[in-house]
Amino acid sequence: MGAQKFSGTTSPRLLAWIFFAAAILFAIIAGIAQETFYLRLATEALIFSGIALSVDLLLGYTGLFSLGQALYFGMGAYLTALLLLEGGSHGFWSALGLSLLASTLVALVIGAIAIRSRGVYFILITFGLAQVAGRAVYNTRSLGGSDGITGIPVLEINFGLFSLNLGDPVSFFMLSLFFVLVMYLGLLYLTHTPFGRVLVAIRSNEERVRALGYNPWRYKLASYVIAADVAALAGTLYPLLRGFVSPELMYFDISVNAVIMVILGGTGTLIGPLYGSVFLIALKTFISSWTLHHGIVIGIIFMLTVIFFPAGFVGLYKRLTGAAKGGRLS
Amino acid sequence: MTEIILDVEGVSVAFGGLQAVNNVSLQARDRQITSVIGPNGAGKSTLFNLIAGAIRSSSGRVRFQDKDITGWPSNRICLAGLARSFQITKLFFDLTVEENLRLASQILEPDGRLLRPLAHSMRAKAKTRELLDRFLLTQRRKELAGYLSHGEQRRLEIALALASEPRMLLLDEPTQGMSHGDTEDTKNMIRDIAGETAVMLVEHDIDLVMDLSHWIVVMHQGQKLAEGIPQDVRANPAVREAYLGEA
Amino acid sequence: MIEYLQFVLGPQIVNGLTIGVAIILVSLGLSIIFGLLDVVNMAHGEFYAMGAFISMTLYALGLGFWAALIITPLLVMPIGALVERCLIRFVYHSPDRHTLTLLLTIGLSIILKDLYDVLYGPNTMKPENPISGVTEIVGIIIPNYRLFLLVFGTLIITLTWFVLFRTRLGAVIRAAAHDKDMTASLGVPVRLIYSGAFAFGISLAALAGVLLAPIYSVFPTMGHDFILLAFTVVIVGGIGSFWGTVVAGLLLTQIESIASLYIAPNWGEPLIFSIMIAVLVVRPQGLFNWSR
Repeated sequence: MGAQKFSGTTSPRLLAWIFFAAAILFAIIAGIAQETFYLRLATEALIFSGIALSVDLLLGYTGLFSLGQALYFGMGAYLTALLLLEGGSHGFWSALGLSLLASTLVALVIGAIAIRSRGVYFILITFGLAQVAGRAVYNTRSLGGSDGITGIPVLEINFGLFSLNLGDPVSFFMLSLFFVLVMYLGLLYLTHTPFGRVLVAIRSNEERVRALGYNPWRYKLASYVIAADVAALAGTLYPLLRGFVSPELMYFDISVNAVIMVILGGTGTLIGPLYGSVFLIALKTFISSWTLHHGIVIGIIFMLTVIFFPAGFVGLYKRLTGAAKGGRLS
Repeated sequence: MTEIILDVEGVSVAFGGLQAVNNVSLQARDRQITSVIGPNGAGKSTLFNLIAGAIRSSSGRVRFQDKDITGWPSNRICLAGLARSFQITKLFFDLTVEENLRLASQILEPDGRLLRPLAHSMRAKAKTRELLDRFLLTQRRKELAGYLSHGEQRRLEIALALASEPRMLLLDEPTQGMSHGDTEDTKNMIRDIAGETAVMLVEHDIDLVMDLSHWIVVMHQGQKLAEGIPQDVRANPAVREAYLGEA
Repeated sequence: MIEYLQFVLGPQIVNGLTIGVAIILVSLGLSIIFGLLDVVNMAHGEFYAMGAFISMTLYALGLGFWAALIITPLLVMPIGALVERCLIRFVYHSPDRHTLTLLLTIGLSIILKDLYDVLYGPNTMKPENPISGVTEIVGIIIPNYRLFLLVFGTLIITLTWFVLFRTRLGAVIRAAAHDKDMTASLGVPVRLIYSGAFAFGISLAALAGVLLAPIYSVFPTMGHDFILLAFTVVIVGGIGSFWGTVVAGLLLTQIESIASLYIAPNWGEPLIFSIMIAVLVVRPQGLFNWSR
């Protein structure tokens, strides 16, 4: 983004520590107070932050603006729902495996085609594909049509040494937190490898990357597939939380919300999207307590952020702490 | 006389109705500096981009180290040992100088290193340090490339191209916009580079070219007008008329 | 066979034409904004809706259809100019301009959609048909209003073409689209042109909103559905190509109309979208991209 142009991409460690520590603290307090509603809401924020992470990998690191990550999110959700309802011994891990396999394959195909397009065209292709998929699911009776699929059982997940009953809101929250942590750390590691640095370079100047001997298409495709997998992983958790899936999960709104979370939190920071998700969900909930019209408030905040704080919350944090440090040294 | 390392044979490029490069042939020798000069619009940059793989030619071939590289994409050409710098500075402006060089040097590492932590790519690290040193950028290594002075940026341009340890370097107007002092430094650097690597230069600065080159190719209106060692080119009446003697 | 043409295919084709003309209006607006200002206006659908909503208010105030038809675009134009000035200009000089304007217009569309909900409520409204009755042409029965729409829409499109290609103003606009800096250095107030073009593009969409309200009804999310078709038309026709937009607009609406005879209407949208994606992949500059 504009103001962030000359500042590279980093993930402030402190903010990450605070996030996860605060989350655990929240789980403990809410668990004791038996605040099921807030625990489930927070879990939902964590699940959506997964889509936000996938958007950030593409937008903030590789420079690919995808308005269609909901496609993979919905795919993971539906596959999980279908598999679990089929009965038999299929549990969480099979659902996860299936979702990831499907998202990898689909993303390879879609990516191979879409990535050859630049800028606006890529945005429109991803947008269009998610819409087509969502509509197709909506139109398909056997997938539940417009009503979606309901009645997804409450799972118990076997971790070998212990098992987690997802009916318990604290357990589910901790599970989601665990997965978000895994995704976050995984992506953090990735962005600090030579591979990740090439992605950043592609965003910075693709032609130069090519002249240096790299084939940008391969890197962009790999990044696209990884992002799809992250979104699908998040999607797997959703039906377990809400007990149903519907075509709306693939629609524009989900993709856009993920983008808003990334912008509000800070593009290209990985921890930003996590904060962004919590912030957006909290804001929506807060506003919904007096009025249904959260669109206006969120829209205004979003636009103000784009214009005045293009580097988002994390950018603001860096500016403030950077200024403080600068003051001390001089 | 060293081996011929680059052999361009009868290449042409047309943009719409304009014939930018018309049946041009030239050769460059290993560890020599070959320069391509000509007035504006002569087709030097187009020829250059053609060799580097940024543009397709409609005819002819380009051979590098006895390999036919005609029509190869630019990344493949770089991997084959022919690296280039850009006329309009194309650095990673929002990354540090060090990171710029590290990215360029990473290509020396095997693909397996891509997913390992950065610290494992030791050859790239060593190369980065070497280039920082050689191009006098060590002090500025933590600076974002966008904040460098013009001269420093042009140096970084060349350094990036050199990172892949190419057999031949294509430099597109390396001293463009430089101060006199910077130009002198760059001249010496190029001479230094030519010790191990073949260099092809596209330049506007005639004195620089005369001073540095082993061989000069003069282009005019898309065609090769003349070629030879500096003295011969300087004395050539057709060249003087088209270019040097215009004043 | 004749019956089929007369009672099945014919009406569908006419339907397609009337909708097509309206879609062309919306798409032209989008294309002008896209082609001239290089802005992907994700809020374009909401301006189409704005036209419909404003007309509803005007009707409630006692004004008739004809008054609404004239007043609505005139009301919307300054809004468009304001949006361009206050928002788009902010980010226009940023290197991430495309992304930022996209984000801004997304934000705007979210706000507008909700605003309509606040001001008008979520329920669907439908203004009454301003021109009742039917006419028979070549054995096909066409509602008079649709006939009017067809004629009026074509008139506006022709007017737009005339301004763009046969007036000095149009020449200046096209020059500015081609090379902004050159045009500016010739003393042309490019800033003004941009605001004006944006306002004009928006007002075309709003006009379509007024025209289609009696047919498609008015509800807060109406813009959202329409925008997808408009984008498809612009992409398939070629961004910034006048005739491309016209041809693609007619073609795609015909495809959708006729297809609805054979496949469930719900598959119409995915079909159109798939066409857009196919074009984006195979020939992103558009199928009908002749020079403007």
